[in-house]
This record gives sequence, structure tokens and C-alpha cells, in this order.
Amino acid sequence: MSEPREERYTHGLSRRELLKLIGMASGMVITGPISAHGGLGSLWRRQPVVPVDEWHKGVCRFCGTGCGVMIGVKDGRIVDVKGDEYAHNKGRLCIKGILNRDILYTSDRALYPMIRHNGELKRATWDEAMELIVARFQEAIQQYGPDSVAFYGSGQLFTEESYTANKLFKAGIGTNNVEGNPRLCMASAAVGYLSVFGKDEPAGCYEDIDHADCFFITGSNTADCHPIIWERVMDRKRAHPETYLIVVDPRRTRTAKHADLHLPIYPGTDVALYNAMIHEFIRLGRIDQEMVQEYLTFRRGEETVTFEALRAHVQKYSPERVADLCGVPADLIRQAAYRFATARATMSLWTMGINQQSQGTAANRLLNAMHLLTGHFGRPGATSFSITGQPNAGGGVRDTGALAHALPNSRLVTNPEHRAEMEKLWGVPPGTINPKPGYHTIALFQAMERGDVKCVLCFCTNPGQSLPNVERYREAIRNTFFVAVDAFHPTRTTELASVVLPAAMWTEKEGVFSQSERRYHYVPKLVDPPGEARSDLEILVDFAVRMGYGDLIRARTPKEVWDEWRQISAHSPYNFAGITYERLKKERGILWPCPTEEHPGTRRRYLPGEDPMAQGNRRFDFYGRPDGRAVVWLHDQEPFQDPTDAEYPLILSTGRIYEHWHTMTITGKVPALRSVHPEWLMIHPLDAAEYGIQDGMEVIVKSRRGEQSFRAWITEEVRPGVVFTTFHSAKRLVNRTTADIVDPFSKQPEFKRCAVSVRPQEGSETAYEG
Amino acid sequence: MLLIGSFLFLIPTFSHAAIAGQGMTSAQLLRVLGVIAAALGVVLLILVEFVWRDRFSIGGYHWLLFAGLFLLPVVAILGTTATVFEETKTVESCNSCHVMEPFVNDLKDPHSPTLAARHYRNKWIPENQCYHCHTTYGIHGTLAGKRDGFRHWLLYVTGTYQEPVQYSGSYPNENCLACHSQTSVWEEVRAHQLLKEDLTSNRVGCYTCHGPVHPAPPERTALQGGEG
Repeated sequence: MSEPREERYTHGLSRRELLKLIGMASGMVITGPISAHGGLGSLWRRQPVVPVDEWHKGVCRFCGTGCGVMIGVKDGRIVDVKGDEYAHNKGRLCIKGILNRDILYTSDRALYPMIRHNGELKRATWDEAMELIVARFQEAIQQYGPDSVAFYGSGQLFTEESYTANKLFKAGIGTNNVEGNPRLCMASAAVGYLSVFGKDEPAGCYEDIDHADCFFITGSNTADCHPIIWERVMDRKRAHPETYLIVVDPRRTRTAKHADLHLPIYPGTDVALYNAMIHEFIRLGRIDQEMVQEYLTFRRGEETVTFEALRAHVQKYSPERVADLCGVPADLIRQAAYRFATARATMSLWTMGINQQSQGTAANRLLNAMHLLTGHFGRPGATSFSITGQPNAGGGVRDTGALAHALPNSRLVTNPEHRAEMEKLWGVPPGTINPKPGYHTIALFQAMERGDVKCVLCFCTNPGQSLPNVERYREAIRNTFFVAVDAFHPTRTTELASVVLPAAMWTEKEGVFSQSERRYHYVPKLVDPPGEARSDLEILVDFAVRMGYGDLIRARTPKEVWDEWRQISAHSPYNFAGITYERLKKERGILWPCPTEEHPGTRRRYLPGEDPMAQGNRRFDFYGRPDGRAVVWLHDQEPFQDPTDAEYPLILSTGRIYEHWHTMTITGKVPALRSVHPEWLMIHPLDAAEYGIQDGMEVIVKSRRGEQSFRAWITEEVRPGVVFTTFHSAKRLVNRTTADIVDPFSKQPEFKRCAVSVRPQEGSETAYEG
Repeated sequence: MLLIGSFLFLIPTFSHAAIAGQGMTSAQLLRVLGVIAAALGVVLLILVEFVWRDRFSIGGYHWLLFAGLFLLPVVAILGTTATVFEETKTVESCNSCHVMEPFVNDLKDPHSPTLAARHYRNKWIPENQCYHCHTTYGIHGTLAGKRDGFRHWLLYVTGTYQEPVQYSGSYPNENCLACHSQTSVWEEVRAHQLLKEDLTSNRVGCYTCHGPVHPAPPERTALQGGEG
């Protein structure tokens, strides 16, 4: 039946047009989601969610794991960061690694120099700020001598920057007052290695994780604080479930929850525990006699002793005797010792829980001794491995010797030969380097308090929050001509500073980082710093030139400084002359020693055949020691310097959480992490009940030094008698309560143990908000 | 059209019932049918055009041409399509390309820590393990998966791919979240909540923290089979 033509239209659409549209719509429905990202290209292949112009190889800004990252740049901005599949982390990153993409663009970047006038920071030009700084430094040096000025740096500066500052102050200005936050972080590990092997830095590497069948993780919440190292440990356990994991920690951390054996030790009793472990090694007949006879010496203080003295020494540390002190049943200690000694390859991992103690050096020495005595050393998987906290504490500060007692490559300022060597290498007249060590960190801030140190250049760190007993030293900072060079403002340090200089950070400048396994790796400059910010190296060079040390600081670009530094390393067993900028830009970092450009780097030190510095063909060559033997030190558990008593019955320990880093100047402003406020205090239900504390209640933590409020978090993750919080919060400064007691050898403060009381804040009801 | 429709309905019937009992997959049966149909079509066309042409009326000639040029090719296409859709879901199919050997060798390594190997050996994904994670749910996911497979095949046979092969674009986290996101273990991890937007938009891949999914490029050489 034929219809009038006009009736075949439906609202002006012909049947042919309708069919066409239906066809197109069907096609769009089917292909739409495929082509949702990237337009037509997605019909052929999957497209990235974030378009990127170029990918560049780099290194994460945060912890000492030192993960390789790929950094995506578009239109002059960092837009994406992903893990580098070619690096040791095999493409993995933690949440902080992922959020490197946002760190440059937070709201509190320091943008221009500021000078304090009448108590307020006012914008200034670079010239005004630098002229003022130089005038004040020169005036102080002229009136009070070079030891009246100081440099306070960071394990987050590039190696080129720490090296330049160290050289400027020690070989130029003539003071050894060069310190930095690694004193708060790694000093005990460094002194531990140095006094055992004669050279600092671990002998092993990350690859050892793939071979160990027993892990002894102590003083480290690896799962939260070094997540990618932890994932590698878990990889080992997933692939070989028989791998045995021992965790020593006062808290039932995420790391401890995965342990086969958890020793919930009281903070600060590690020396007793490790002596008990050695006691068990001897009792079980698990001492490697070849090691004792051929490769070890034994020392008690200055006195050289024998293995028999060690045997007698540990008699008083039987597991039963230390059980009460350590808070760990003797059976668990025996099990741990048995597993440690009888495994095919045992690897120890530790970090701040060991280092931040008044017996941090002793604990480090004993950890190394446990490996040396049982022969769990120098084989794949068998090693004593200290993890670093910052992205460049090892290479930047420990290796360059940028600490008050040190000179480059494990040299000491007190050693005349070492001084002479460095004077020659730096091309300065004999006698230039001051033979007296400078102030270690706590002594430096005490000298500022007394007025003995007048001017301080502080780079890339936040002592106004991170020092122990911080209120005392905040006052010292306020009363000193204190120059805070930082990428962020305000911080708890810049609020006290006389001058604030804006610094570039991460990929706004180029340079070399190192991580826990002696790997030097390169961070490229990809974008411009914001406002008037300059790289720390530029600022240091400018300062040096204005101070009249232009002739000394001739290397002024990162590459020039690196070339000078690697050539200097060739005059030491660190020798990494073969690690050139060209290689660093191409390769995923290289482990030193690496004496030539053809050398692949060294996974395990002190092994003839593997370590280019080791001589002969014996099992080991501990070339850092004059007699070629590593040292086993005898140490006793000392009484606590800040003991608990009726007034301060609890032990406070501090640490970190997964999402934030250090004093949160970086992570605190990253949008994805802003909702995480670590302002709680962990307390066990038994203690909470005893002190009338309810969950969520505001509580006051009080120590012999000061007090601070927190919100109570009642949890069994912390053991009775111990409370825990982080040092992240800028609002609630836990360091008002921590002790500025230091280790006698490393001078590292004891953040992991101080005596406190906890009480409900007046008027505080339970304030739990879910 | 009716014939084609009926055939399509038969595919799932074959795949799940009688054929499985005979130890033959539906894809294998359809492949045989497709080959037979293709061969029949070619023979029929030759016979019709060069041998039997004079024996049939115009109408009969056209019907035979219709069978040789349309009906039998349709059966052949259905057979090959079913083969492509079904057979390519298997791990063996992926492993038929040399470039995939390191991935499959790792998948089946009982001591490998990769995500792929752990899902395989713990039978978290019981069959067609490659396909399961490399196609997304729903028809669009299937289409995207087939598009990827076709591209990979094309690059492989033309030798235009570059080693080490890399995953193109952003991985759809939906594949992981379909199983994991409903679990309390997943919900309790604060980082998952903090990155929820990034995870649902695929801006950040689950594998970033939980990988590596497969051996990293430097490890693949060791897992490559002996013969090139």
C-alpha cells in the first residue's frame, strides 16, 4: 500500500536518515568506551589516561629505598610519575612515590627571599639577602673566629651540594661546623660500620633479599616506612614460603603482623637482646670458627680481647636473664637465635629503631657481630644491612664526610694524615683544615643557645620541628642569625629564621642521590623552579663567591662538582671514578666501588674477586682495617638515661606512618594526603584503663622536658608500658617531650625512648569522631 | 539470515555440552567445520564454474553460486571467528608467539613472586589466565581485548614490534577491582581510599604498589625459551 510521501517522515526525519543514525549510534555505543580516551587512536590501541609529551628517568624524592621513577612531562609541567621497570624496584612505587607528581605544585612553596624586620619576614631581593648573609657571616668570623659559624644540611640535598658546602666550610672558612639531619638519622649506623669494618656503608645490597631464607628485621617498620624494600622481602616469602621472618619491634606494626616470630621488645634494650642471641649462638655451637680465627678481632673499648672474653662476656646475657629487661620470653629469644644461626642465609634489616638510641652504636656493632660470628656475611642473602631514611644521607653526607667529625670517604678530621690528604686533594695549604671536630648537631644547637655560634646556614631540613627537646632549641634558632634555605614556607623552622631563601627541589634541579645499597643515581632537571627559587648549589656557589672563596669553589655546575668528587674518591677505597654523569644518565644507578667506566659496580664488598678494592684470594679482605680483620665489639646494656619512675611511668617512642614523610613539609600539602592527620597517641588498653583514658580523648604527654597534647588511640598494636606517636605533625610537636640525650660514639639523639606520663587533658571528654 | 542465526545459537550449545565430553572444545569443532566449509566452497565453485556449468539451469547455477560464494563462506567465517574468539582466550594461544614466552614461563613458575604467577599457582583465576586480565568485563571490554590481540598478532607476524614489549596506555583497574574491591581487606587500606579517584579513573594502576605483574624487562631475557 502506497503512502503519501509526506507521511513517511517522522518529525522531519526520513527512514533512510533514521537508519543511518541508528547505525551510527550503534557504532558509537560499541566503540564509544574504547575511544573514550585518546579519540580515534584508541580504536587501534589503549591510550594513557594522562597524556604525556615525554618520559624521563629519575629517582623518587622521598626515602632511602631510592626507587627509580619515570617522570612524565607535558607543557613544562610534571603531570605523571610511574615506577621504572628497569630500576631495582621493578616498576613498583608506594603512595608517596606516586604522588611525586604533585609535590612541586603545592600551595606553600617558598617563592622569593625574605628578611626578618621587626619580627616579620619581608620580601627582599636575592642581592639584599645574600649581601646581608655574607656581611653577618664575615662579621662573626672576624670577631669570634670561624667556629662561630656553621652549616646545617640534609640527607635530602644532592651529593654535589653537600660536597660543596663541606669543602667550603672545612677547606675555605676553616671550621668543621658542618652538620646535618643525618646525625638524627644514620649516625649510629655509620659509626657502627666504620668501627667494625673500617669503612662506612653496608657491604651487601638489595639483591641479597632475593637469596635470604631468614630475615631479622629489627627497629624497622619496613612495611610502612620502606614499602618497596618490604615488597621485595615479601616477594621472597611469597616465592619461598619457608622463608622465616623475625621482627623485633615494641609495636605490632604491619611488618610485625607478617612475622613468623615477633619479639615485642621494650625500646632501648637491644644490646641485651643481641648479647643473648650471641650467647645462644655459642651455646648452639653455631660460631663460624674460620671467621673467628682468620677474619675477626675482639675489642672491649680500647682493649683488644679474645673470643674467650666474648664467651665470658655474654654469659651474663642468657635469654632467661634478659627476658624481663627486654620484655620478651626467653623461649622466643632462643627461637630467634636458632633460626638466625641455622638458616642457609640470614639477612638483617634495620633502621631508626636501632640508630635512634643512646646505645645506637653498640646495637649496630652487635648486629654486625651477629653476622660475622655466625658466618652469615658476604654470601648472597647473608648480610647485615642498615636501611637509610633519606634519599641521599649515604652518598650526600656520609660518603662526602659532611659531618662535624668527618672528612670525605670515611676520613676523620682528627687524623693528621687524613687532613693532609684532603688538603692536597682540595688544593689548599697544609694546615688549612681545623684539627678540632666541629659541633655535632645537639652540641651545635647548644652552642647557638650559649651564643658561641652566631650564624648558621641551614639547607633543606626542618630542625625547628625535628630536633629532640625541640622547644629549647627553637629558642636557640630564634636567637641566632639563622638562614633557612628551603623549598617550602612556612615551616616550623622558617617561622624562626632571620632570612629565608627559596630553593628549587627534586626535578627543578639536577644532581646525584644515593640510596641504602650504595647505589648512586641521577635526578634530571625537567622543569623550572617557581618564583625566584634557585638550586641549593647555585645558592652555595653564590655564597662562596661573595665570601671570597671563588678560587676554592671552581666547580659550579652539578656535573663539574660531580667530576671533581668522583676523581677525589679514586684516592680512597670508595673509588667511584667510573661513575660518570654520562653513565648515570643512561644506567639505573651504579653501586660503588666502581673504579673504571667499564666496571659494572659492586654488589658485595670485601669479597676478593667481586669488590675491586679487595686484595688476595681469601674468603674476605676487610681492607678498611689495618690488620684486615673486622672488629667484634663487646658491649654491656647500660642503664637508661631517662628512666621510667612513678612520675613518668611510660616509655614514649616515635616514628612514621606509610602516607607521610618526616615533618610533612612536602606530603602535608599534597592534595591526596591532606586528609591524613597523624595526631594520635597509641596507647595500650591496659594503660588507658589505668590512666583513665578513653579512645579519642585529648591527652597530655608529659616528659622531664615538656608536654604536648595528642588524641588517644587505644590499640593493642602497642605493648603495655609503651606509647607511640609520629613526629609528622607540625601542630603537635612530639619533640617537645623527646630527650636530647645522645649516643656517646655517634652523638645521635635517643628519639626511640624517653619516660613520659599520659593524662587526660582537663575538660576533655571522649572526642572520637570516627 | 535465519540459518546464520541458528548457527550462532548453536555455538554455546556445542561449547558446553556434547563436545566437551568428547575432549574437543567448541572452538576446535568450529575450526574443523570452518575448514570443511571453506574447502567445500572452493571445490563447489570450481566444479560449478568449470565442470558442471552446463548441467544446471540458470536458477540452479545461481543457487550453487550462492552456496559457494555466500553460504559456505559464512560457515567458514563463523568457524574462524569462533576459533579466534574462543581459542585465543587460552594461555597456549598467547604463548604461541615467541615474544610471550618469558611471560608464560614466569606465569607457570611455582617460585615466581609476580602477580601473574601468584594468581596462576593459587588458582585465583582457574583458566584462560592471560585473557582474564587482558580483557575488561562486558562487550566493550571484549572488543578492546580483541582489538589488542589483533594488533599484537599483526605486529608479530609483520615483525614490526619492538622488544621489550610494553603495555599500551593505562591498564583498566576494573579487572582487579571486580574481585578485590568488595573485600574488607581492600576497603581497610587507607591508601586505597586516598587514591580512590585515581584508581577508578585508571590514572594510577593497582600494579604500581602491588606489582610487578610480569617479570620486569631486564628479567625477561633469562625467561626466554631456547629457540629463536
